[in-house]
Amino acid sequence: MNLRSPATSHRTEPQKTPMSRQGYWRRLALILAVIGPGIITSNVDNDAGGITTYSLAGSEFGLRLLWIMLPITGALILIQEMSARMGVVSGKGLAALIREQFGAAVTFYLMICIVLTNLANTVAEFAGVVASLELFSVPRYYSAPLAAFLVWFLVLKGSYKTVEKVFLGACVFYVAYIVSGFLAKPDWGAVSREILTPRPDFSTAALTMVIGLVGTTIAPWMQFYLQAAVVDKGLTAKDYRIIRWDVIVGSVTVSLIAFFIILVCAITIHAHGIHIESAKEAALALVPLAGKYAADLFALGLLNASLFAASILPLSTAYTVCEAFGWESSVDCKFEEAPQFYILYSLMIVLGAGLVMIPNVPLIPIMYFSQVLNGVVLPIILFFMIRLINDPSVMGEHVNSRFSNILTWVTAGVFSLLSITTAVTLIW
Amino acid sequence: MKESLNHNEPVWHFCDFLGHRVVDPQGHSLGRLFDLVADLREHDPPITGLILSGPRKSRQQLAWTWVEEVLPDEVKVRSGALDSLSAVATSPGEILLRKGLLDKQIVDTGGAKVVRVNDLQLRQRNGHLVLSRVDVGTRGLLRRLGLLRVTAALIQWLFGYTLPDNFIAWRLVQPVGSHDILRLKFSQTRLARLHPADLADIIEDLDQPERDRVFRALDIEVAAEVLEEADPKVQVQLIQHMPAEKASDVLEQMSPSEATDLLQELEEPHAQTLLEEMEPEAAQDVRCLLSHDEQTAGGMMTTSFFSQPPHATVNQALEILRREASDFDVIYYIYVEDQQGQLVGAVNLRELLTSDPQAPLESIMVKRVVSAALDDKQRDIADLFVKYGLRALPVVDKEGRIHGVIRFKSLLEAVAPHLR
Repeated sequence: MNLRSPATSHRTEPQKTPMSRQGYWRRLALILAVIGPGIITSNVDNDAGGITTYSLAGSEFGLRLLWIMLPITGALILIQEMSARMGVVSGKGLAALIREQFGAAVTFYLMICIVLTNLANTVAEFAGVVASLELFSVPRYYSAPLAAFLVWFLVLKGSYKTVEKVFLGACVFYVAYIVSGFLAKPDWGAVSREILTPRPDFSTAALTMVIGLVGTTIAPWMQFYLQAAVVDKGLTAKDYRIIRWDVIVGSVTVSLIAFFIILVCAITIHAHGIHIESAKEAALALVPLAGKYAADLFALGLLNASLFAASILPLSTAYTVCEAFGWESSVDCKFEEAPQFYILYSLMIVLGAGLVMIPNVPLIPIMYFSQVLNGVVLPIILFFMIRLINDPSVMGEHVNSRFSNILTWVTAGVFSLLSITTAVTLIW
Repeated sequence: MKESLNHNEPVWHFCDFLGHRVVDPQGHSLGRLFDLVADLREHDPPITGLILSGPRKSRQQLAWTWVEEVLPDEVKVRSGALDSLSAVATSPGEILLRKGLLDKQIVDTGGAKVVRVNDLQLRQRNGHLVLSRVDVGTRGLLRRLGLLRVTAALIQWLFGYTLPDNFIAWRLVQPVGSHDILRLKFSQTRLARLHPADLADIIEDLDQPERDRVFRALDIEVAAEVLEEADPKVQVQLIQHMPAEKASDVLEQMSPSEATDLLQELEEPHAQTLLEEMEPEAAQDVRCLLSHDEQTAGGMMTTSFFSQPPHATVNQALEILRREASDFDVIYYIYVEDQQGQLVGAVNLRELLTSDPQAPLESIMVKRVVSAALDDKQRDIADLFVKYGLRALPVVDKEGRIHGVIRFKSLLEAVAPHLR
């Protein structure tokens, strides 16, 4: 596969300097060549659905659900580490491993699941684009098709790699939430009390929110994307120690930002009894930092996050499916060489942008419930990952330790329970 | 499950076999069919054994000779088979079809592409069951899902389109999932029939473990050619996963300019190690090229060209060419340099072949040779190639000494990305 995903093809720049350098720089160069997949995946993870779900968690439940970000961070590191390890050891994508170990039928139905979930996420990203541009009074009938064309063009015409750096750089926006969090002067005593002595809440709304938080932080597509990124970078077992830090740093960053979004929404929005109906209310969280420019700052941040994820999700989906079924997949191919790839890729974008153009379709619920769907599907992916990572024919000596296995099974068990409860309560 | 083709030989789909009960005449069940063993050393690989799954995931092997009859829903074996079950053990050259082929990547050497195996087709030939074709099409996939009939009928009804079968004959297939098969000499694999550029595309399309496996199976010369054609990112990965000793051998075989480009992409310590492992002469060429910027004439040229002194005769030049042509990157032009190494003329191969064998080169050479300076940029070089219709362009320093030659191919590689 030439290019699994645009985000992953940072080649180290050719070294033009004469070949003699000190050990320190050499080590640094080595680390810089390896890091990336974990940090990029995490930043894409803070997408439209993510920002919305975290904002809703703070605005609807105040500080009450803040504590849950701690166990979720642990689970995120645990699961991402498994993805990265499978990538470096097997040298194959998750979809290829599932196909080779579980056969065609299982893979087929799983792929249907993944495509639908990822489609919901793509719709959410375009909803994010539309919601952010509505703050600048751009009607959705212009913003959605424009964003769709932009994404489609950037990725297929190969200028994505440059733009990715812009997207990644613009993620500095999230720091705004941390600054805003401090400027809002929360009662840190109350915050630590809420975290240290959590009060369980078993209402349907709270359970749904918890599964949404799980689903947005540990999205199913991330596992496919991260593993493909690691493989595409050509990383092997010797890079494992560095890539593990990449994953840990990425995971902690995303959770820290999530933590502050919830916190700041709790003290700025929830405390005033406001409900988030649209992006306008969600932007209030940035008032302590940006004052009257809060809406502009929020809109730009959300727009960047949405476009970033919208560039990656359809592509990642198309690659995943093609990998599972052995179809040609590369943006370097002509249409006739890789018809399935291009059809799937374009369909994701067209449907994603098309669905948010339906008049008066509610954007915030779209972004929120796509993440709940992620949470419901996640345990299924986890099950496959646990089976694969314990298979010596795939992982050799790098199978899970007993300790990791216990942790992973407990995590998968809790998530399954949450997922089933949510699914049942949502249907009835 | 049986399907008759134009011949009267019955055809089976491997996946329909799986899970069938295996019974002896007394009605004892020996287990369920889990896998088949095929002997790939034969042209038409015969099925030589069955792998049976018993209770608690236990696996046992039975020789195919015990099979009496294959029925639509079960496999009948002769009496006594129960006592002949053994532990699973394949001999070299044998492959487990499910474990080693089904759902795996293979190379279709006919179409020069990588595909995934959806099903396998077995056929009765001279009383043996043999592996005849590999199913890589949509029909095969749908059959695996148990949705073939419904979907095919639906598509026929909706679009009037009959889903085509997509089989590849076994003799055009190169499996890459198993170590045994690729440990053969490269010339014995079916990959040997492919053009190095096609091989490079295939290697790029494979998953990384298969990629390394295939690349390691190649002869040094072929590996060098393939590497020259591969995408820079894949080049780096292939070289990195190879022991330094073999990697340096491959680099020596590559043209110095290609080897230099590749070494520039590697991390410094690794590139340094490889340079030290290389033969001093080849390493010297590469070191010299490394000192130039990739984007300039110095970085694009190769040092492997053919030059002669002015008084050398046509015959002498032809002699050397005949002997050593394979060692030069550029043979279409013979460059004439004087004792100071200055480029004083050039003779092209056509003139060389049609001139009097005893004539000295200086009498037939073109004296006004178009050349580039070491720090000329790609655009200037492209202009020279276009203006003069050259196949190769010599590169000289300020004193007029020849340092190397830029091949048309190198220019094309530099320019091609801008053509899209």
